[in-house]
Amino acid sequence: MIEKSLLKGNIAIARAALNCGCSCYFGYPITPQTEIGEFLSLEMQKRNLAYVCAESEIGAINMALGAASSGQKVMASSSSCAVALMQETLSYAASDELPIVLVNVMRAGPGQGYIYPSQGDYNQATIGGGNGDYKTIVLSPSSVQECIELTYKSFYLAQKYRNPVILLVDGLLGQMAEPATITQNPYPDIDTSSWRLDGAKDRPSRNIHSLEPNQNKLNQHVLKLYQKYQQIEQSEPDWEEYLCDDAEIILTAFGTMARSAKAICNHFREQGIKMGVFRPITLYPFPYKRLRELSFKAKYIIDIEMNMGQMLKDVRLGVLSNSQISFIGKPVGDWLKKEEIINAIKNIIKEQYASI
Amino acid sequence: MQVYSIPNSIKKDSKFTFCKGCDHGVAIKIIAEIIDELNLRENTVAISSSGCSVLLYDFLDIDCLEAPHGRACAVATGVKRAHRAKGEEKFVFTYQGDGDFASIGLGESMHSALRGENITAICINNTNYGMTGGQMGPTSIMGQLTTTSPLGRNKEYHGFPIKTAEQIALCEGTKFSARVALYDVKNILKAKKTIKKAFECQLKNKGFSFVEILSSCPTNWKLSAQDSHKKIAEELTKIYPLDIFKDTIDD
Ligand SMILES: Cc1ncc(C[n+]2csc(CCOP(=O)(O)OP(=O)(O)O)c2C)c(N)n1
Ligand code: SF4
Ligand SMILES: [Mg+2]
Repeated sequence: MIEKSLLKGNIAIARAALNCGCSCYFGYPITPQTEIGEFLSLEMQKRNLAYVCAESEIGAINMALGAASSGQKVMASSSSCAVALMQETLSYAASDELPIVLVNVMRAGPGQGYIYPSQGDYNQATIGGGNGDYKTIVLSPSSVQECIELTYKSFYLAQKYRNPVILLVDGLLGQMAEPATITQNPYPDIDTSSWRLDGAKDRPSRNIHSLEPNQNKLNQHVLKLYQKYQQIEQSEPDWEEYLCDDAEIILTAFGTMARSAKAICNHFREQGIKMGVFRPITLYPFPYKRLRELSFKAKYIIDIEMNMGQMLKDVRLGVLSNSQISFIGKPVGDWLKKEEIINAIKNIIKEQYASI
Repeated sequence: MQVYSIPNSIKKDSKFTFCKGCDHGVAIKIIAEIIDELNLRENTVAISSSGCSVLLYDFLDIDCLEAPHGRACAVATGVKRAHRAKGEEKFVFTYQGDGDFASIGLGESMHSALRGENITAICINNTNYGMTGGQMGPTSIMGQLTTTSPLGRNKEYHGFPIKTAEQIALCEGTKFSARVALYDVKNILKAKKTIKKAFECQLKNKGFSFVEILSSCPTNWKLSAQDSHKKIAEELTKIYPLDIFKDTIDD
C-alpha cells in the first residue's frame, strides 16, 4: 500500500518533477513559490542534475529555453509579477516548439501586489502576455494530490506537443499541506531524438529559431502551430463534473475555488436544489464543448473566482443556451467565505427559487 | 601553397547576406575554421542572437539555437547544463552583437561570466545597433554620430560607453577575455588564434571565455569597406585596445 503523507503543494510539485525525470530546473526567489526552488536545490545537486539560481526570471526562463533544446524535461517556477517577466521567452518557446514546464504559484496583483491569495493570473496564463499568435497549455490543480498528478501531466503534454505548459497553482495550494501520495508517473517518455540539438553527429545539422524573414514561410509556420493547437483543443480538454447531470444551477470555478464551490453545492443540494459544479482542469484548452452541453439544462450558470471575472469570459464563450450567467468574485485576500457565496447565490436565483 | 577553401562547417549553399564590406562574414568564417580544426562540429550547439548575427545558422553547418535579444549567455547556460545533467559535455558558444551582449543582455552576460559558466561568448562590436539601422549603442564612442545621437555622443547627455572585454575580465569566473580586430590579414590571423584559445579554455573546462571583435559596419558608419577598416585601425583601437585582458587558463 502506498502511504499518504502530509505534503505542501509546493513540495509536492517539486517531488513529482524529480520523480518523473525532470533533469533541469531554473528559478529566482519569489513568494509564495520559493520552496520549490529551495527543495530542488539540494535534491538536484545530489543527483548531478542541472540547477541554476538564475540572476533574474529573464535569465531563468532563457536557461530553460536552452535546456529544453536538449530534449530533456525542463522546469522553471515563479509567481505572478515575475512570470510577467518571462512572457517574451514563452512566445519564443511556443514558436520554437520547445517544451518547458513553468509553474506559476499565484500571488495577488496588479504590479507587485502582495503575497495574498488570488487567482489573478488566469488571463496571463491562458491568453499569454507574449507577442504573436501562440498558445500555452494551462493546467489547474485543486488539491495537493492533483499538484502531483498535473505535474506529471505537464511534463508529458509539454513533450508530446512540444509546447510550453503552465501549471497554474493558487498561492493557497502551494502553501497548504494535506495528505497526498507521490504516485508513479503514469505517462510514457517521449522520444525527442528527431528534433533535439545535441551536435550534428551522423545527421544533418539542425537549427531552432523563431526569426523568419520570408513572409510565406512565417505564415506557414504559424498555420502549422495552429493545426497543433487545434489538435490540442480536440484531444486535451479536461474537467471535473460534480453533480452536474441533473443540475439546473451550475457553479463554475477553477483551482481551490472549486473546493468551496462543492461545499456550497452540497449545502444547496440538502435543500433540494439541483446544483452542480463544473471545474475546468485544463484552462487552455478550455472545455467549452462539455460546458455547452451541460448548460442547455441549466437555468443559471454562476462563475466564482478569486479575481474580477477572468475565466468568466471563457464561460460566456462556452455557454450558448439561454442560461443566465452571473459572477461572484473578489480580487484579493481571504478566500470568499461560504456564507458570502451562499448569500450571493441566493440573490441571483431568488426569482426562480423563491422558497430559499 | 595555401588554397582558399570553404570550411567544412560552413553550409555549402549559404549566400553571404551581410552588407558589402561587413566583417561579420570574416568572423563567421574563422569560427568555422576553428570548429573544423578542433573537430568540434559534431559536438557543438551554437547560440545565435538578435542583431545582424541572428542568421548564424544560415552559414554554420552545426546545431544552432536562436536566443531572444540579449539572452544568449542564459540560453547557452541552459544548453550546457542540460547536457551535463546527462553526463555529456557539449561545446557551446554564443555569437552576439555589442548591443545584445553588453546592453540589453549585460545582466545575463556578466552573470554567466561571474558564475564561471563553461561557455564561450563571441561579441561583434560594431559600435552601434546595426540591424535596426545604426542607433547609439552601449559601445558607441564619444562624438559618434548615430541616428539617435545626431549631434554626436556626448558624456553629459548620453554618458559613457562600455569597454566590454575589460569589464568581463574583472569577473572571477572569467578565465579568458580578449579584444581582437579583423582590419587586415595580420589581425585576422591573430583573431583566429585568440578565438581558438578561448575555445580551448572551454574544452579544458576552465570557465567563461570571451572574445570581443572590433568589427566594421560600413552601412551604418556610412564609410567604404576600406575606410571602415581604417577607422578601426586608427581610431577605434585607441579607445578599444586590442589585447588579452585576462588569461588564467593555465593557472
Ligand atoms: C527585446 C528586443 N528589443 C529590441 C529588438 C530589436 N533589435 C533587433 S536587433 C537590435 C540591435 C542589435 O544590435 P547589436 O546587438 O549590436 O547587433 P548588430 O546588429 O549591431 O550586429 C535590436 C534593438 C528585439 N529584436 N528584441
Ligand atoms: S548593418 Fe552593419 S553589421 Fe549589419 S550586416 Fe550591415 S554592415 Fe554588417
Ligand atoms: Mg552592434
